[in-house]
This record gives sequence, structure tokens and C-alpha cells, in this order.
Amino acid sequence: MSVYQVDKVCWRAQHDPPFRERLSQDPAGALAELPLTAEEREALLAGNVARLYQLGAHPYLLGHLSRYGLFGLTRESYGRQMKALLDTPAEQARARLAGRPVA
Amino acid sequence: MAEIVAGFGVPHTPMFPEQVAREGPQSETAQLYRAVAEHLEAVQPDALIVFDSDHLNTFFFNNLPTFCVGAAERTEGPNDTNARIPHYVVPVAEELARGVHQAGPQHGFDLAVSQEFEVDHSVLVPLHFLTPRMHIPIVPVFINGVAPPLPLARRCYALGQMVRQVVEAWPARQRVAVLASGSFSLEVAGPRVGITDGDWMRTVLRHLGRAETRALLEQATTERMLAAGNVSGELLNWIALLGVIGRRRPVFLEPQMSHGHAYGVWRWD
Repeated sequence: MSVYQVDKVCWRAQHDPPFRERLSQDPAGALAELPLTAEEREALLAGNVARLYQLGAHPYLLGHLSRYGLFGLTRESYGRQMKALLDTPAEQARARLAGRPVA
Repeated sequence: MAEIVAGFGVPHTPMFPEQVAREGPQSETAQLYRAVAEHLEAVQPDALIVFDSDHLNTFFFNNLPTFCVGAAERTEGPNDTNARIPHYVVPVAEELARGVHQAGPQHGFDLAVSQEFEVDHSVLVPLHFLTPRMHIPIVPVFINGVAPPLPLARRCYALGQMVRQVVEAWPARQRVAVLASGSFSLEVAGPRVGITDGDWMRTVLRHLGRAETRALLEQATTERMLAAGNVSGELLNWIALLGVIGRRRPVFLEPQMSHGHAYGVWRWD
């Protein structure tokens, strides 16, 4: 299953202001007619960007959701969810390839 | 005949325009962009080839080119809201852009082309600082550095070599410079936000500084770049630049380590 439709929701949040307004006013209604999977829809409406990231949504696009305060997200809650993923195997694999951070 | 006269590499951090406006011309970032801008003014190019990774603004997953040349009369933007900069209209060196697109297949590059497009902050933040009058026509060459699968480093280097061959065979007498936009270690909106990969920065800077192109191409695998940050594939724009200018050492290479990027100038005049 492609996560394309999630990416598209995020892209439209940036590039389609009327859609962004609907997402803001009536999130469930704005998503109602879109061909999302049940899991994608649930994660979007819950502002569960960690799950969407794990499903393969592009982080650069997910970031639009917190930029516009959609699905109850703030920059802080977004950042917290992402940081919590550092313990996952996928992120630990990335960390093993990475070098020492700048002090 | 046209000739390649210089190369420049800079970041496009969206908050820099606002920060520089606030902190003034003596701020570190203002001085670094100015240092590059002064070199650019000195070489007086007639056209500027811009290697850039669109941030899924101009392109999206409905139609995502790995390599695309922008060949129009002009472009404008930014078409995103990240950077607080004016809306700019930028002339495009349309004939040269078409020349790159047309000649591509003979050189093993079947490039996508866009004849109507806008650009995002990743093109316009550099131009905002370097050519704010927007008087130098650009040839935008988009390289997918942000949405895996990314092209290989050696492929991007070869793309740069191809662009150089097209320019050097170009009949008009034109002075052509090259600009690479992007960071070496940067994570945007992902788990590793704020973690700059110091080891990778030093590796890239060492290879750039010593013109160790082969070593850089070997090290810059997709996995290694993405470990340094989810948009660190922007290094591919710098690698394409190296393909254009050949094996030369920069005359200026100054990092901002904590930001994960650098400012570079290659001149040989």
C-alpha cells in the first residue's frame, strides 16, 4: 500500500489554501472523500505523525502539518513524536551509519 | 564559444534572510554570503547554471523527475512559505537550457524538461543573497536530492561533466558560472532534527578542499548521506558542480559547522 495519499494531503496543506482551511475547520470532513486507508486516516486525524513517518510519509511533507497547526499538532508535539522514534530499529540503523555530532 | 568561469556553493536555509535582515551586515551569515557574492560579481557571468533539489514544491510524487532542466523564458517564486523573501521573477537562459536538454541523450542523459515552472526557497534564498537584482539568467538543473531513491553521486558528477561539454560546445560567446544549492548534514522535520553529523561534515570539507573528487564520490552513498540527515542528499548538487568545473581546489571554503553546510568558491581567472 502506497502512502502517496498521505503525502498528497500534506502537499495540499502547503499548496492548496482552501483545502488547508477545510483541514483546519473540519479535518474528518476534509479527508472524508480521499482514498486513504483506515490506518492512514486514523493516524492523520490523531495527528500521529510518528506513525505516518513509519508508514513512509515524507518527513519534509509531514512538517507542513505542524507548520499550519493541523490535526492538533504544534511544532513541539511534532518534534516530541519524531524524537521518540530515535529508539526504533530503523533510526538506530541510521544512527550507526552517522558520525559523531557537532558539539 | 561559451566557457565555464567559476563555481559557487551555498546553503539555502529559509530563516537566513530574516535573520540577516535582523542582525545586519556584520552577522556571520551575511558576511559569508557577501564573500561569495563578491566573487560572483568579480567574474561577471552571463549565465548561471543552478543545481538545486526542489523540496517537493515544484515537483511532487505525482510526477517526480530525478533530473530535470528548466527551460522557459523566466521563472518565479518562492512557491513555498518557508523563507521570508520577496516574490522574485528570474530570467532563464532559455536557449542554453534547451541546449542542455537537447544534447543530453547524446551524452547518456535523458533529462526531463519543464517549460513552465516556479522555484522554491532552495533556488531563491541563494539568489536573494547573491544576485538580488535577479539580472543574471539562470539554467535550473533539478536533481532529486530529497526523495529516495536518489541518483548516485557518480551519476550526478557525470551530469555536471555533460553540462560542461554542452557549454564548451555552445556557439555563443558566454561566460557561464555554476551554483550549487544545499547542505551536507541536515535533517528537516525528521527524528534527527538538530543533530549535525560532524564527522561527515569534516569528510566532505576535506575532500572538497583538497579536490579529492574520487574519494568524495565513493563516500557519498545514499545511505551515508541520509544518515547525516534526511535532506543531506543536497550534497549531490555540489557534486554535480564538481563535474562542471573539473578537479580544482576551491579558493574559498568556509563551513558553518553547527548548521551542517558551507560556502564555497572555485575560480581560476
